[in-house]
Amino acid sequence: MLIVDGVSKVYQSKVREKLWKTTYKEVKAVEDLSFQIEPGKIIGLLGMNGAGKTTTIKMCTTLLEPNSGSITVDGYDAVKDDRKVKSLVNMIAGGERMLYWRLTGRENLNYFGNLYGIKEATLKQRIDLLLKEVGLEDAADTPVEQYSKGMKQRLQIARGLINDPKYLFLDEPTLGLDAPIAKHLRSYVKTLAKEKNKGVLLTSHYIDEVEELCDEVYILDKGRLILHDTPERLTASVFKENSLHIWVPALPNRTQKELEKLLRTYHAKMEIKQSIDLEEIEIIIKTEQEITSSVLALLSNHQLTVLKLVVEQPKLEDAILHLAERRIG
Amino acid sequence: MLQTAKATFHRNMISMIRAYPWSFFLSHILSGIYTVLFAYFTYTYVFEGVLDSRFSNYAGTNDYLSYVFLGGALFSFAVSTLMNVSRSLITEQREGTLEALLLTPSSRKGYFLGNVTQQITRTLLEFLIILIFAFLLGLQFKHIHFLSAIFIWFCAVIGFFSQALLLGSVMLYFRDTYITQNTLFVTMAFVSGVTFPIGYLPEWVAPLSWMMPLTPALEAFRHSVLEGQGLAASGSQLLHLSFLSFLYLIVGSLGIKKTEKIVVEKIFS
Repeated sequence: MLIVDGVSKVYQSKVREKLWKTTYKEVKAVEDLSFQIEPGKIIGLLGMNGAGKTTTIKMCTTLLEPNSGSITVDGYDAVKDDRKVKSLVNMIAGGERMLYWRLTGRENLNYFGNLYGIKEATLKQRIDLLLKEVGLEDAADTPVEQYSKGMKQRLQIARGLINDPKYLFLDEPTLGLDAPIAKHLRSYVKTLAKEKNKGVLLTSHYIDEVEELCDEVYILDKGRLILHDTPERLTASVFKENSLHIWVPALPNRTQKELEKLLRTYHAKMEIKQSIDLEEIEIIIKTEQEITSSVLALLSNHQLTVLKLVVEQPKLEDAILHLAERRIG
Repeated sequence: MLQTAKATFHRNMISMIRAYPWSFFLSHILSGIYTVLFAYFTYTYVFEGVLDSRFSNYAGTNDYLSYVFLGGALFSFAVSTLMNVSRSLITEQREGTLEALLLTPSSRKGYFLGNVTQQITRTLLEFLIILIFAFLLGLQFKHIHFLSAIFIWFCAVIGFFSQALLLGSVMLYFRDTYITQNTLFVTMAFVSGVTFPIGYLPEWVAPLSWMMPLTPALEAFRHSVLEGQGLAASGSQLLHLSFLSFLYLIVGSLGIKKTEKIVVEKIFS
């Protein structure tokens, strides 16, 4: 298990005040953060820009040392036993960096495999397997500089798996990828966790990705952990209301009054919007209870045709924005 | 360590074949040739072949042209080695591969060893081209002690490699290549006995001379090539070179380790 225990990280950055005068400013990137990653689980790390997500990943992968607290990976300390920890973890970041563009895909994997001290026979087999899994078999012997952005990203994934890590860190892995490739990547990440028992930590700006993949979500704000739960419970704890959107050709006064009376019994709120061309009316009902069937029955009794019906459940993205606004406020 | 060294050698070799750094290759050869030509013209047309009486005392030879030709060739070789090895980490940072490299548990010594052995295949060629050019202008090989010359050249490679580790950590810290390395190269050319014996230098410059592995390497190399002497004649120079190599290897290795961490912090802060 990967255990992050009370970790803090402070950056010192130079501020040049005059030509010869420089002062140092301290920025708390991560403050007293604790969490765990179990093998087979996908953990989401969310937050606005500057929340401390990338710093956390860099500390877990030994690239940065925490100022206080500890990170242990299967019992090995990330600072004292960094070489052992490096062999257990790997990281995949979005974008086109972290690859040698003059080398082919196969040569890149071969180089990184050697840096991990993998034996030649094992490495050859693993490279063939990974190239097949990320769909780069045909381009294996083409220099990376001739790859498309999606191909480079797929090769990055293969590089991140070359040491068969027990814990994988994905920092915005689908950034800038086309939708089908991103979808394929998401399904592959799920397979890695559920079938290959790898512990995965994911940061992403695409909330749908986090909702789809993660077993648990940690939300950071200015380096501090502000919430931790499953995506579903997290959403429900912040937003309990569902939105019911009903489009009708008209809404007579008598129907509107009956509807208001019904909604009062459920403590629901209603808003009515007329379309620009005056041909339809949108009724927006916000409620914590399931009242769709009662509302539809009432409209049917008043012989109103329902043109369209949409039930909107709260989204994790809304929950995060709401939390951020609440903290700023 | 050896697996990393071998893999890095192979990686650099492939990169070099796919995109040969012709401009570096030519500029190193040309700077060596220019040093040789400058010395030749100055000696022939300015001084009209007349040497200062102290020269043979300081240099141990009267053959000024051979003295300068060897100096220019070894200086050019030192510059190439220092430049290629010290730039390797900062190049990784500029090309966006430093993080991927630091993520691995690979040996940094192995990484640099791979870099230096690969670059020798290129710089040795540059060195030989300059020597051939110098030979055409009059460099004498008639007394050369081959085994001794090759051994001293090998020791010089270790010295330049160790110095490159320290230079590399300074360059990585300041994230600068141009000012740092060119300041060092100009200083080396002036204080290491490339075109004139260090005996001509004022006393206060002497510590700078002693700090450069090129100084004892050049003295020993000239003993074996121009005077045909064995290793015993260059004992003190080899001891000096070994001491500097050991010192720079330790300081450079520690410096690189510390600088890597500082640089990663700087990038993210």
